[in-house]
Amino acid sequence: MTSEKVVVGVSNLPNQRYKIVSENGGIFTMMVCGESGLGKTTFVNTLFQTTLKHADPQQRRHQPIKRTVEIDVLRAVLEEKNFSLRVNVIDTPGFGDNVNNNKSWQTIVDFIDEQHDSYMRQEQQPHRDVRFDLRVHAVLYFIRPTGHGLKPLDIETMKRISTRANLIPVIAKSDTLTAKELQEFKLRIRQVVEAQEIRIFTPPLDESEVPDPAVMEHARQLIESMPFAVVGSEAKFDNGQGSVVPARKYPWGLVEVENDSHCDFRKLRSLLLRTNLLDLVLSTEELHFEAYRKLRLEGSGASDDQSVPARAPARKLSHNPQFKEEENALKKYFTDQVKAEEQRFRQWEQNIVNERIRLNGDLEEVQAKVKKLEEQVRSLQLRKH
Amino acid sequence: MHGRKKDHKRGITYSMLLVGDSGTGKTSFANNLLETAIFPHKYAMEVPGLPENPRVKVVKPTMVVSYNSKNGIPSHMAQFDPAREHFEPGVTITSTSLEISTGSEKLSSRASMSSDGSSMTQNGGVDTDKISFNLVKSYGLGENLDNSLCFDEITGFLEQQFDQVLAEETRIKRNPRFEDTRVHVALYFIPPTGHGLREMDVEMMKRLSRFTNVLPIISRADSFSTEELAKFKATVMDDIERFNVPVYKFEVDPEEDDLETVEENQALAMLQPFAVMCSDERNDSGQFIRRYPWGEINIDDSDVSDLRVLKNVLFGSHFQEFKDTTQNFLYENYRAEKLSTVSDWDVDKESGDVNKRNSAAPSLSNFASLITTGQFKSSNSLAMPPQSETPSTPDSKTISHGSGMESPAIRQISQSIRRGNEEIINNIKSSPRSSAPGSPDKSKLRNISETVPYVLKHERIIAKQQKLEELEAQSAKELQKRIQDLEKRAADLKLRERLLRQQHLNSSSTSLSSRTTSASQTLPTQTKLKKEESMTDLASIVSGRV
Repeated sequence: MTSEKVVVGVSNLPNQRYKIVSENGGIFTMMVCGESGLGKTTFVNTLFQTTLKHADPQQRRHQPIKRTVEIDVLRAVLEEKNFSLRVNVIDTPGFGDNVNNNKSWQTIVDFIDEQHDSYMRQEQQPHRDVRFDLRVHAVLYFIRPTGHGLKPLDIETMKRISTRANLIPVIAKSDTLTAKELQEFKLRIRQVVEAQEIRIFTPPLDESEVPDPAVMEHARQLIESMPFAVVGSEAKFDNGQGSVVPARKYPWGLVEVENDSHCDFRKLRSLLLRTNLLDLVLSTEELHFEAYRKLRLEGSGASDDQSVPARAPARKLSHNPQFKEEENALKKYFTDQVKAEEQRFRQWEQNIVNERIRLNGDLEEVQAKVKKLEEQVRSLQLRKH
Repeated sequence: MHGRKKDHKRGITYSMLLVGDSGTGKTSFANNLLETAIFPHKYAMEVPGLPENPRVKVVKPTMVVSYNSKNGIPSHMAQFDPAREHFEPGVTITSTSLEISTGSEKLSSRASMSSDGSSMTQNGGVDTDKISFNLVKSYGLGENLDNSLCFDEITGFLEQQFDQVLAEETRIKRNPRFEDTRVHVALYFIPPTGHGLREMDVEMMKRLSRFTNVLPIISRADSFSTEELAKFKATVMDDIERFNVPVYKFEVDPEEDDLETVEENQALAMLQPFAVMCSDERNDSGQFIRRYPWGEINIDDSDVSDLRVLKNVLFGSHFQEFKDTTQNFLYENYRAEKLSTVSDWDVDKESGDVNKRNSAAPSLSNFASLITTGQFKSSNSLAMPPQSETPSTPDSKTISHGSGMESPAIRQISQSIRRGNEEIINNIKSSPRSSAPGSPDKSKLRNISETVPYVLKHERIIAKQQKLEELEAQSAKELQKRIQDLEKRAADLKLRERLLRQQHLNSSSTSLSSRTTSASQTLPTQTKLKKEESMTDLASIVSGRV
């Protein structure tokens, strides 16, 4: 930047870029997933510091107790310093609530795939200016703070999600675990995640990409404290040092959400929003979407003509294995029923036939008797004459 | 109360069942309740280091009484193995026999005493009344993908205890050392979701309440602030009301109970469901605490936890009440139901209608559950046309041929049962005493007492046999799978070895031909590379080679 050199203005490119980005705004789609009652809604509200979503107990009252997994999409625009971020929060109420939770991850996995698919098809259209993009950039999987380990349902679900999106496991309601318990719990989860080959999202640690040692150190810290133990709260309390902070007030103390010695909330927020938001978006684009696209195009390219865009997988209700199972059960019930009824009818028929044979026999007997009598009459008449 | 005196002589038996999702604090609760270390935590091999409680003595160590799992192995003591964590653990029920020595009238005072060490040693044992305390605990509930398995296992266990008592009662010659293992009270641990009951909670409590008093308990209540806890309690009670869950209610009878009891029960009813929190950790003065960075909780503090009240209810104020309800209400109902079905069946059979049993099965009676869970597992009652509905025919032979729909195995079992019973009945008939004329009721009664124990035993044996067979099949399957796995791995290894050997040959040949590069340099790098490849992408190598 010496005065002798002529400044052409190329160095302004980053600024131009900055302007474009800040005008266009950003988009971030986050999915929260986990059993009910783990504080997903509260966490979302705590994360964005507004009541995006109301915990609505009234709604639950009218629902049947057996539930199906649903997908709830919530859209919001967050503005901060003239920059607007469009946030989509996807909730999965009903996950893990039933007695039989087999295949309940299917809805979630299908949803993620569907977003990839829809985006891919929009890309293949001739006009592709307006894109509807709901590809999931990050999935927060909430783990129940049992202090034991991961349940098979957690493992199966996380395995499936991790191949499709950036997975971030989170220990919910971590204020029920003491420091020692939490440490053990984290260790076990990490071991399971490693042994089961579940890929969780980690901030890039490549030295060529991240030149700043401070950033590196931060990233390393983040990785070390995975899975994040979080506490959420919408209420704010005075922490005794003059500032009002989001916290949970217990008779035995105040759990500060943004206190690093109480929970990992700040680290998680940093990972999600402050430092690694772009990493999340990019890795979704480059890694997961590309993988999906490749799979789709390769899969259909083998059988179809190359020029024809890949067909969407026929994701009808009948493709959900859960429904299939139910269908089969119903079918079986139906055939059993039909068989039973048929058997009964056959029985009836047999009875009727038997009855007929018996009656016929009777009839013949009677006829024979009549004949005999007639004969007698005739013989008597003959004798008379 | 004829049983009181006998109870004193033989010691009082008391059984408690702890059920709930894994990770809701059953283990810690048991340890805290008895103030000693009974159970180890999950994955921990040793029980937490708590000082021994001199009043509590383990008579019989923890043993598995019933289990069911996909791989045919009980899993409650499984070691932590990250690579196998995705297997469903199934369900296991264990039973631990303990002896609590304490004066019976001091029971309540002991329970209400705060747990400081000084008061524990006071009762040096002049008035030593012993409770043989049976602690039954479930493992694995809520950890499976499909948890319906657990329900049948747990209710099956409870029913079996009833059956044993029933069989013993109706036996002519009784076993003097018979142990009553009926569960008097079940504590159901509700996970602290803050959202009310889940399908599983409702279902489980409903099922349990047929056989025992169910006390719903909010475990790990330290996840709620004071207001949240009050709200959650209200929601839970609301749900219990709404889904008609027959949990134990602290009811009052203003005419019979004295004022004190009425007040106490009303207070307890207000408090329900009890919220508890447990801990292994003690502070310097011997109190159990949970230590957090933001504060300490004394788990006996009645402002935040109902643990003390609950202890008092379990061992003090409602101790006898639980036993009485189990004996006089739940067991009586069960007994009446069971005996009426069994005796009906006997009488019907004598009149020649052997098929009555099948048609009577899907009634309210508990045979239904026996049939669905036990010996008639595979035979759906739908598959068999109910015989009573078929039009009456003059030919009774066609009926018995018509019912040949059921699978041969089941028919064999039911026939064997029938045969066994017919034999018994014939014996009874042939004996001159029982066939005294003019007393049909008496002979029926006699039949009941003669047959019921055998029928029950027979049923139980058959059910057990089937379950064992199932478990065996499952474990065989599991083994098969593991063998296949191992074989596959062995094949992989062999393949890799062959690859490596070939490479070795190749590289040595190349090094021979071109002496510029030393073989020792190329070989390790290449094999290393190959190794990595084969780790990730064995299939492609195979396809490439073939």
